[in-house]
Amino acid sequence: MAFDVSLEMTKNGVAKITLAGELDANVAGEFRDKVDEAAQKGAKRLVLLMADLEYMASAGLRSLIFAKQKMGADVDIYVIAAQDPVMDTMEMTGFHHSVIMRDEYDAEIENI
Amino acid sequence: MQPLVVPGNLESLQAIRDYVMAAAAEAGLDRRKTNRLRLAVDEITTNSIVHGYDEAGLEGDLRVEAQLDDQRLTILIEDRGAAYDATQHRIPSFEELTAPLDSREIGGLGIFLTLKGMDDFRYERVGNRNRNIFIMNRGTE
Repeated sequence: MAFDVSLEMTKNGVAKITLAGELDANVAGEFRDKVDEAAQKGAKRLVLLMADLEYMASAGLRSLIFAKQKMGADVDIYVIAAQDPVMDTMEMTGFHHSVIMRDEYDAEIENI
Repeated sequence: MQPLVVPGNLESLQAIRDYVMAAAAEAGLDRRKTNRLRLAVDEITTNSIVHGYDEAGLEGDLRVEAQLDDQRLTILIEDRGAAYDATQHRIPSFEELTAPLDSREIGGLGIFLTLKGMDDFRYERVGNRNRNIFIMNRGTE
């Protein structure tokens, strides 16, 4: 499945990025651009909707580091509905400790 | 399986992953091993393209071949880029892997995932070619 990424900003500054398909080194720049755009718009929280993301390489992990460095250490990153291959990649590298993992999206996340 | 030959650029990563997934299915690997093999091949191939070809100002193909025997699935990948031995690369330490994201280094993650995820991984330099060898045992753990 082809990679797709889209950004939605809520009124109170939550950046919701929906990822689908396979995130590899070839397309990671598109994800990074959305992170950049969210940072420019003053995102206070980053929510990554991953239910349709089938695969993520380390290029995706580096984009998460980029996001944290770009937005600031106090901006929490939520990872929603990560599939097994993505979860495995994050767990092997310890990234699951640095983000907030949730099985489902909950509107509470938008309350800051 | 019939070898796959693709241009050494990042657009080829998808075709290589598809080939590896087909080989893993033929070998009957479980989902976890299938995912880890796909990831390892993708990471090392990315390095070959970025460091071996692009940054070295070289162009060439990647040749991917799956070999199956009773015990294991072996994926051989050859390129004609600059010599690059991933097994000699420094990988992140435990402290680095547990550090907060904003203070993390960005290098070495792909190689770490490869070495951790494969049953065996080897590198050989043969003439002007790099050969990366990925091995997964077929039995489930």
